[in-house]
Amino acid sequence: MASEAAVAERHATPAQIVPWWERNLAWLLVAPMIVMFVVFALLPSLTAILFAFSHIKLTRGGMQRTFIGVDNFQRALEDPIVRQSAGITLKWALVVTTVEILLGLGLALLLAHGVRGRGVFTSLLIIPIIMPPVAVSLMWFFMYEPNFGVINYLLNQVGLPSVLWLSDPNIALYAMMAVDVWQATPFAFLLLYAAILSLPRDPYEAAAIDGASRWHIFRTVTLPLLLPVLGVVVLLRLIDAARVFDKIFVMTRGGPGSSAYTTTLTVYVEAFNKYDFGYASAISFMFQVVLVIFGTIYVRRVMADYSAPAES
Amino acid sequence: MVGETTFERVAKYAVVAAVSMIVLLPVYWMVNMSLKGKGEFAARPPTLVVQQPTTENYYDLLVTQRFYLKGINSIVVAVIAATLAVSIGTLGAYALSRFRLPRNLNYHLLFTMLTIRMFPPIVTVIPLFAFYNREILGFKLFDSWLGLGLVHGFMELPLVLWMMIGFFRDIPRDMEEAALVDGDSRLAVLRKIAIPLAAPGLAATFILVFIASWNEFLLALILTGSKAQTLPIAVAGQIAQYDVKWGNMMAAGVITTVPVLILALLSQRYLTRGLALGGVTG
Repeated sequence: MASEAAVAERHATPAQIVPWWERNLAWLLVAPMIVMFVVFALLPSLTAILFAFSHIKLTRGGMQRTFIGVDNFQRALEDPIVRQSAGITLKWALVVTTVEILLGLGLALLLAHGVRGRGVFTSLLIIPIIMPPVAVSLMWFFMYEPNFGVINYLLNQVGLPSVLWLSDPNIALYAMMAVDVWQATPFAFLLLYAAILSLPRDPYEAAAIDGASRWHIFRTVTLPLLLPVLGVVVLLRLIDAARVFDKIFVMTRGGPGSSAYTTTLTVYVEAFNKYDFGYASAISFMFQVVLVIFGTIYVRRVMADYSAPAES
Repeated sequence: MVGETTFERVAKYAVVAAVSMIVLLPVYWMVNMSLKGKGEFAARPPTLVVQQPTTENYYDLLVTQRFYLKGINSIVVAVIAATLAVSIGTLGAYALSRFRLPRNLNYHLLFTMLTIRMFPPIVTVIPLFAFYNREILGFKLFDSWLGLGLVHGFMELPLVLWMMIGFFRDIPRDMEEAALVDGDSRLAVLRKIAIPLAAPGLAATFILVFIASWNEFLLALILTGSKAQTLPIAVAGQIAQYDVKWGNMMAAGVITTVPVLILALLSQRYLTRGLALGGVTG
């Protein structure tokens, strides 16, 4: 360890012995977070796997667990609701991520030359990002309200018919996607904008001297330089969007019907409405496997420039 | 860089104005409606600016429906979470940025901790729910401040590690090494040099964890009952009611938003760094 040499050096006088806790300080400092990881991630994950292979019956003051092999998984793969919700989750994640990234990137590029009142504008955009999703949902729920919501009122004013935003199964999912876009586009914008502002200037000057077109500069200079950050933002949005729960739960409870059941909602219903912990764990386990693949790529990207302290 | 044409400049400000409106108008509408009494609320066409502002919605929600209790729950849980995550995460971050552990453990540990950010909470919450409903030493973690605070604190460990490793990296090594040569222990250096120098970042990190806990929905929904229920869960219940009180609902939205907004302004300088880890969303 880096500091052990230094520590040993300054305690060179034989009378002084380095206490054990100082010799192992690094381990003591990381121990609490490792304990937390074991208690709140590792053990629950292992238990979830155990649950997934079991049938669980809740009884008064406890639960009965019987091992049933892969039945839960088989059932999940054949369950139309699980399939449907996987499709909805995928659709949700792809659509909102694409829209948010395109809008955020477009806005960031537009403001790349700087804009007066930039500080005020970026502060403003923090509002949706940090607003509690529940508050955002209530706000939009009310605006979407078919009879006296402001959106239908405005539509009627310009002669358009009212829309059942949250109770038409063909529209509800997209109406809720719009809420997510409202909340998360500023997030994509702020990260991409910060990245664009910190791009090196030289390549642009070189390209300008060459007389390259705007599109050409974007494709050959901006995009490649931006790609690492863009990758991180896309992955982060995909992962977060794929586990969407609060907005849909608050606005329609996954409805109308089950038309907006995402995977997280399906698991929630199986576990906490039907109390089928085993089945719910099997679904969520398969979900986790998919997310962990993306998650690992994301963390690798984020840590790309991380380096451990050098030996000194 | 390539210069801008006048058209582009005009377009730019038009877009900035439009985006600002799209962001602000819904929020304005929520505040506007929350201040309207029953009569004015139903008025057609709706009054663009509240004519007779009243606090009756707020009073009804906070006092009559006793939502202030949920607010207290939210604050206590968030403080527990932030204290826990910041203290444990700061120690870990210091170790990872100052010591070199064998077998490239610095990298692997940080990697493992950051993956917490990716865990879908719906997976671990089912076993946790079962575990929390067991009595340990006559105490159940289910529906308790501590129980939810612990999970929220854990969920935000990656954010704290990420932020604090960055802040510790910014501290000049010479200062710490000088103190070490002077005979201070590593722990004393952490206490006397590293933490004071990183204090503003530490405070901002505390605030970000507080916000994340305050906003969190899924775990709070599942791991609390009526006693420790947080504000967002109680507020969401407003929609499910048979007889929806719209004014109360808008007031509820404002009440959950305002504290977070104030805190975000205080930590704005560090917000982008936290965002890279998606600190506040989700």
